[in-house]
Amino acid sequence: MSKKIPFSKILVYLDGSEGSMTAAMYSILLAESTKAELHASYVVNTKALSDLVKSRVFVDQEKMEYLEDLKKDAKRHIRHTERLAASRNLEIRTSVMEGSPHKEIINYVKQNGIDLLVIGSVNAIRSRREELTSENDRMLRTAPCPVLVIRDDDDIWAEFEEDV
Amino acid sequence: MTLLEAIDKSMIKVPLTAASGKEVVEELVSLYADREGLLPGRKDEIISLIMARESLGSTAMENGIAIPHAKIPGLSKPAVMIGVSRLPVPFGDSEHKGTKIFFLVLAPEENPTEHIQILASIAKLCSSSLFVRMLESAKSADDVYQLFFD
Repeated sequence: MSKKIPFSKILVYLDGSEGSMTAAMYSILLAESTKAELHASYVVNTKALSDLVKSRVFVDQEKMEYLEDLKKDAKRHIRHTERLAASRNLEIRTSVMEGSPHKEIINYVKQNGIDLLVIGSVNAIRSRREELTSENDRMLRTAPCPVLVIRDDDDIWAEFEEDV
Repeated sequence: MTLLEAIDKSMIKVPLTAASGKEVVEELVSLYADREGLLPGRKDEIISLIMARESLGSTAMENGIAIPHAKIPGLSKPAVMIGVSRLPVPFGDSEHKGTKIFFLVLAPEENPTEHIQILASIAKLCSSSLFVRMLESAKSADDVYQLFFD
């Protein structure tokens, strides 16, 4: 069997939420213990921005402002994740992409041979409306590799900080 | 925070009694001001920010829905107010026959992803003519709430 067991390449999806930062910490701990290669990606949701302009919810000027806000948010979260990894002497490959988050992440998984996708918590099912499906839900349902869903839990933060 | 997490029954008004766009914004922001116990100055600030955003380009759509929104300094989490009017209210472009359904979204300056996801969810829902018809025919805040948590 050529494939490393359990995982050789882990990707954590960052979306700017506290839940995704918990997922980042968990991924770092997991990569540390499995010696897997760790990747982290943030997707600037330009698909949603374009859709909001099309439906007239956003004007062009507003779209540009939000695009800048999202890029700054991406940079901030990527930098923070890099610092978290560095605090455990772990190498991490980071990237910022643009487009529809679930599509970009799935493409990244395929192109980079990722064998575990780690995401922050998914929402409780409170509605059957397809329009309300979150990006995390879509990734969970369509990823071509195993997906690990991390609950936002203080214990992970505590464990992470324990040995730093 | 998702759209569903932001929806609060006390932030839904059916029917709206306002007769103009500005009055609708005032009526909906009042729901939020009452819940949060805001001082009148803060409430006026929020209304001004919403109207300033609307002046850049109306958020009214052809299907009788408007999604006025603004980034509000000092806000800790997004808030969504929903109002349904029995009669069309003139809102923004005069080419539309009027607006009956309003989603007013207040967003913190931080975490732009959340704000965009909430607005995108509303826009997606409102692209369904069936959903819009059901919203229009809602008779109470309970009816509107149930439409989301169906």
